[in-house]
Parts: sequence; C-alpha cells; structure tokens
Amino acid sequence: MNMTRTNKLFAIIIMGAVVLSSCQKLDIKPPNVLSDDQLFSNEAGIETYLAQVYRKLPIEDFTYRPAGRGSDGGFNLHHEWEHFYHAGGACGEMVGPYGGMDIGGGFGYWPYGDIRDVNYFMETLPKYAKNFAGNTVNELIGEAHFLRAYYYFALAKRYGGVPIIRNVQNYPQQSIEDLQVHRDKEEDLWNFIGDDLDSAWNAMPETSVSGRANKYAAAALKSRAMLYAGSIAKYGSLNYVDGDARAQGYVGIPADKAAGFYQKAIDAAKLLDGKYSLYRKTADKVINFADLFLDVQSPENILVRDFYGGEPERMHSWDATMSPNSGMNYMTGDGLSRCYPTLETVERYGVLNVTNPDGTPIRYNNLSDLWRGTNMEPRLLATIYFPGETLRGKLFDIRRGIYPSFSGTSADEVAKTSRTFVPSGDHTTTYPGDPSMTIIGNAGMYPSSGSDDNTRTGFYVRKYINYKETDIKKIGLFSSTTHWIELRYAEVLLNRAEADIETGQLDDALVCLNDIRDRAGASALTLADMTADVVRNERCKELAFENHYWWDIRRWRIADVLLNNARFHALMPYYIHDEQKYIFLKEPESFQRNYNFDKKFYYEPLPGGELNKNPNLYPNNPNY
Amino acid sequence: MKISISTIVLAVSMLIAGSSCIKKDNYPGPNASLQGNIFQDGTSSKDLVQTCTGNFSIRLEQLDWSSTPTPQDIPVKYDGTYENSELFAGHYRVSIKGGAFWPVAPQEMDIRMGSKLDFQLTPYLVLSGFTADMVDSTTLSIHFDMQAPIDAGVPKVLEMQPFVNTTKIVGPGASIFDFSDANKVAVNKDWANMSASDKSPTIVVSNLIKGRTFFVRVGVRFDNDDKSYNLSDIIQIDVPK
Repeated sequence: MNMTRTNKLFAIIIMGAVVLSSCQKLDIKPPNVLSDDQLFSNEAGIETYLAQVYRKLPIEDFTYRPAGRGSDGGFNLHHEWEHFYHAGGACGEMVGPYGGMDIGGGFGYWPYGDIRDVNYFMETLPKYAKNFAGNTVNELIGEAHFLRAYYYFALAKRYGGVPIIRNVQNYPQQSIEDLQVHRDKEEDLWNFIGDDLDSAWNAMPETSVSGRANKYAAAALKSRAMLYAGSIAKYGSLNYVDGDARAQGYVGIPADKAAGFYQKAIDAAKLLDGKYSLYRKTADKVINFADLFLDVQSPENILVRDFYGGEPERMHSWDATMSPNSGMNYMTGDGLSRCYPTLETVERYGVLNVTNPDGTPIRYNNLSDLWRGTNMEPRLLATIYFPGETLRGKLFDIRRGIYPSFSGTSADEVAKTSRTFVPSGDHTTTYPGDPSMTIIGNAGMYPSSGSDDNTRTGFYVRKYINYKETDIKKIGLFSSTTHWIELRYAEVLLNRAEADIETGQLDDALVCLNDIRDRAGASALTLADMTADVVRNERCKELAFENHYWWDIRRWRIADVLLNNARFHALMPYYIHDEQKYIFLKEPESFQRNYNFDKKFYYEPLPGGELNKNPNLYPNNPNY
Repeated sequence: MKISISTIVLAVSMLIAGSSCIKKDNYPGPNASLQGNIFQDGTSSKDLVQTCTGNFSIRLEQLDWSSTPTPQDIPVKYDGTYENSELFAGHYRVSIKGGAFWPVAPQEMDIRMGSKLDFQLTPYLVLSGFTADMVDSTTLSIHFDMQAPIDAGVPKVLEMQPFVNTTKIVGPGASIFDFSDANKVAVNKDWANMSASDKSPTIVVSNLIKGRTFFVRVGVRFDNDDKSYNLSDIIQIDVPK
C-alpha cells in the first residue's frame, strides 16, 4: 500500500505530539492510590496501611539474605528461593555457598522510607480519631511505636548510632541543610528503642491476630534489644576498634551502662510470665521440638510471619532447599540444598564419641546406631537430621564413600594425603563387585570437587522442615507455607537468663534455663553451671538456624576469635565393605572454606550512597 | 527507496530530541600518579618493613571536593613499594591504613603526574635471627627473636605462626593452611609480660611434602584494630626427596 504524503505528515504530527506531551503535568489524583481519607476512615483502611508496613518489616525469616541479593537488599525479597544463603552459613553454624565470612559488610540497609511511613501513621491517625471507637487509636499508635522500634533495632545492631527520626520530614518544605541530620549516639538509640517499646507496651492490646504484634511482642522485643545493648556496653568496651565514631559515641556504649540495660531486659522478659509458655504438646521430646516450629497454635509463639498460598501469595522454599534432592527428586520435588550444619554446631550439644579408646573408629552395623538408643539430646535430633534418619519415607543414607577395608586409627586416616575409600559423583554408581550397593547412597556426599548440592558435613537441617507433608511432589520451590516465628518464648527466657547471669541473678537464670532444658530433653543444670559460657551455649543450641547466631557472636564480641581464619568440620560416614560396617570420621568439611572476621565488622559501614547524600553522617564507623 | 522530506524531518527531530541527553564532559582523565617506598624509620632499608600484599595499604582521600571524601586504598606490595598510576590530579590526604607499625601523622599533598611519597615506619616488633632448619625429612624447626624498637605501648601480642607457601609471596592470606594456620601458637600477653623465652620462640612445622620447595616466614599478630602482623623475612626451604 502506498502511503500518501498527508498520511505521513499526520504521522509526524502525532509523534511530535507524543514527544512533547511529556511536558504536560497530570494533575488528576491517581485512582489506584488510596488517599488518607480512605485509609484512615475505618479499620479496613488501617489494615491495608499496616499490612504494607508489616510486609516490609526487617524480619530475618527464611527469605532473608544477610549480604543482600545484588542491588535488591536482603529483606523481603521478591521471588527469593535460595535460602541456603543463610547467615549461619557464613560464620560456622553451618557451611554453605558463602565462600567465607562474606556478610560482615551487610548490604547497606537504610529503611528511612519505611520509618517515614510509620511516623506518618503516628502523625496522621489522630486527625481521623473520630472514625474509630474506644481505645483503638491509642492501641494503633502503640503498635506504630513497636514497628518503629523494630526498624531501629535492625539499624542499631548493624550500625550502632544512626539518626533518630521521630517526625515526618518534608522536602522542599524543609531545606536540605535541615534534612542532613547528624548521627545519634549508640547509647541514645538503644534507649530510644527501649522508650518506643515502653510506649508500645503501655498502649497495645493483650492479643492480636496472627502476623500482628500485641503488647507482649513489644516486651519480648525489648528483652532482646536491651540484652543486645547490655552486651555491647559490656563486651564492646573490651574488644573494639578505635576511631572518630567511637570517640564521639556513635558506636560503643560506656561499660557502666551495661547493668542498667541488662536489668531492663530482665524486667521486660518478666512481663511475659504466665502469658506464654514453652510448647509441650507431645510427650515424645523429639517430635515435640520439631512440631513447635510447625504448629501455628503453639503457646510459645509471640510474633509470627505467615506464609500462604492464594492471591496474593507469600510462600518460601525452606523445605526444598534444606533437604537432599540429589538431582532425582529424592526427598523433595524440586530445588536443591547447599547449606549444612557443622560438627562444631552438633557438638555444642555434647561431644560425639565415634572412636574406640585405642583410636580406631567404632564400627556400626547401621548408620542410625550412631544416635538410636543413645542418650543424644532430643532437641539435637529435632534440629538436625543425622545419617540414618528418615524423611518422607526416604532414608538419609549418607556415605562419603566405601573403603574396601580399613585398619588403623581415625586420626592417622584423616591425616593421610592419599586415602583408599572409593568416592562417587552420582547416586547410581555401585561399588565394584557389589551391584547391590551404591557408593554414596541416595542422600550421600559428592567429592570435594563435585556438586555442592548434597551435604558436605554429614548433616542436614531439620528445624522448620515440614515432615508432615509426605507427598514429595508437593515439596517444591515456593511451595512452603510454614510460618516464621520471629519472637518465641524460649528466646525471651534465654534473654532473661543471660541478663540474669551477667548481673549475678543466678537463681532466676537457673529456673529459666531448666525450663528450656526440660522441654529439650536435656538434663537439669545446677547453680554452679550458671556462667556466661553455659547460657550462651544454651542459646546457640535452642535458637540454632533461627538467624540469631551471627548477631550473638557479634554482640558478645567473640566473632573475631571464633572466626580467626577458622575452618569447620564434618562427621563423614563411610562404609567398610569387607567388614560390612559403618564408621564415622571427624574431618574438615569438604568445601574447605576459611572464615575470617575483621574487628571492624562489629559494626557495618554506613552505606556509601547515604554518606554522599549527607556528609553529616560522618564519621563512618571505625576502620572503613 | 525514495527518501521524502517528511522522513528527513522526522529523523532530524528525533536527533534533536535525543541530543539533549548528551552532556559535554571536559574534566581531565586520571592522569596523575603516586608511588613510593616504605622504609624502616631512620634508614633507607626496606628489609625490616616486612610486609606482604594486603597487610597494609596507603589511604588516599581527595580533599578538593569534600571534607569527607570516600577513601581509596593502595596496597603496599611485598617488596615495600606502592604505586597507583591512574589517579585524578588534586589535593589529597595520604595516610597509612593497617599494618603493625607505630602510627604516623597523615600528610596532605598535591598529587600530579609522577608524584612520589616515601614513608618512614617503625614496626611494633622486629623479628630477627630467623632460622628455619629441617630436623628430619619432613619436619621444619623455626626459630626467631622478637625485639621492640619502642617498648612502651606495644599492643597485646595475640598469637604467632609460621606462613608457608609455594611462592615467594607468602604471608597472611597467602599461605597453606595445614602448614601455617594449623601451627598457630596463642600468646595473649602484653609485651611487658613476655619472658625472654616467650620472645625467642621455636615453632615446628611437620609433615611437609618431600621433594617440594617452600617459602617460609613467621608472623606475630597483635590485638590491635586490624589484628595486623609483623613479619620476618623469607627463607626458601627445599625439602629433600
């Protein structure tokens, strides 16, 4: 078809109009954005507003990535399935895809936009108070204080003192100079968090729907935050990096403030007495501890984040990324694993004895003889899958390889530079001359140089694994709906016990710890056991893989000692073919990673982009 | 194909529309450089500024545009020199970052093409009399002495260890774990509390591989901000076959 000149001219005029139209300003209220009049008119509008705030809350759940994902940050990521990028895997609680201690610098978390949403809520809601009956406005303002404290807690534990913004800032009504605020002192920030949580406690209701906080969540968070502040004051005064930010109080808290913070942690924890209790629904202590993370009705849950299908959906992939798929949909219908508990974590519950007095490895008929019928702590078995366990009817038949025969001691064998066991990079190759036996088993270990997708330590994570879903086909990526327990009563008891011990209140600590240990199936402690090391170890065990460990070794200021070019270990199962027995050898995990923590990582660097925008944020944290 | 006027008009108008995105940048490129040496204080010797790549660095802060600039670091190489030949000319604050040396004050200077700046540093401890001898076919015995050029105020000594590697680039971050970190010795003492034997230790490295050549040095680590090391010089060890 031949276009006429008129048509072409017309086309040009249209294009010109399109180009120029960008200069027009649209002055119509967008119909898809809710106005204040709509949002603050009733409780449904408030729920919509707060749903967004809760959704962005910096909860370190399954999907959290401690070093961020590219430029996306690390919280509440869209379409995030690689849950093996777990903080525990960067600091020796586990070993995994992080090449070492790769999370010290964080990802530049700076949620002042989200804090502004909360401040805006606090300032705007009272203007619409007539729309709400009774005490609702007061309760909602209390909830906003909790939410704001939650954001500032996430900032304080990363950076120390950052600017405390209590009101909505506006530009251009306020000048750039006004908006370029200074840092606040670390001590002041922790006190501000405590005050916000007190305001929350005073105003919030006793109960709340799942996924939203009530006043006990505020008290629980306060016990955590004040414990952090206490340990930073006490241990940060002993082990620190000097610099301008420290000299000016932006990082570090005077040591004489420690006791006060610890006492606040204890007082806040005691507010939950009689209101929450440890989960004890099942007599079998292994099942009970496993179920505590699956039962949404647990009396231990103080604040959870729900995951759900439907529209909109919010699902995670914990089940599909923590158990072996083995490239053949073995225990999961999709996905792969890459992060594995270390022997060091396992031995926090007690040293595993896999060696005879003469140094030779103990021979076992079955892998499960390692733990079955022994006095291994139920909590450990509910936290970590050992070789010989089953999940969804499938056996953790983990072997690193098969020895034709074995003699000598474990230590001598591990020290050898050349060893005689037969390895395999797949699950189908059988032992030469024995077609009935695959070399590594269906859940077993690939050679060091091989795929990372099965265990490298002999262990898999059990905590939060939904063993009740037995249909393997349903265990895929973005198919898990297990809720994340952000605050649970056991942590509150541990916060209280630790603060108790730091302040010499040993009787109270003993009661808290023995409650936890009884539920865990561990033996009771005595007053003589009430030391900082004991309560710390108890915390590491009880809260394993719940994204506490990293922050704990930081605030105890022991990370640079624990992660001093550290290497972690595995418990490698082998089969001895001529004896038809299993042995276990303790040896370096087969990623062979080194973990090194610089002292400067006790604080993250302030984000470079923010420093460029606001030079008043200087001095940056020491040694950056 | 016949090109009509309207097509030309369209092309020209799009060019004009697009050209507004182009901004002329007439700033000079990074045509300045800075290099220098790290000497032991009061000498022209680099031998005792025992370092290795990454152990410490030269920190540059360009003060022309901001009083709080983003720093850039030049690592000091293992031969005690440093160089960056792709710098923007300007006024800089130059300081030492890291390393186990007594602090020196930062210097301000204009950096142009071919700028040079040497530093005179005093290590916390000098590791001298370093010997490394094979005591049997695969076992190496290492001995050295520590001396403090300035006694008062040396940071607490945390640990000491050998560094063993297959190349001359050997030190923290460049060593074989099983021969190096595995032989770490905890000290955890203040310099004033260290005995004569503490200051003259012997460390044994065992199970070296027969027939290989290794490069060996020792390091003493301090509990300072960087947990940095003073290092000995390097000895080549040929393990017999």
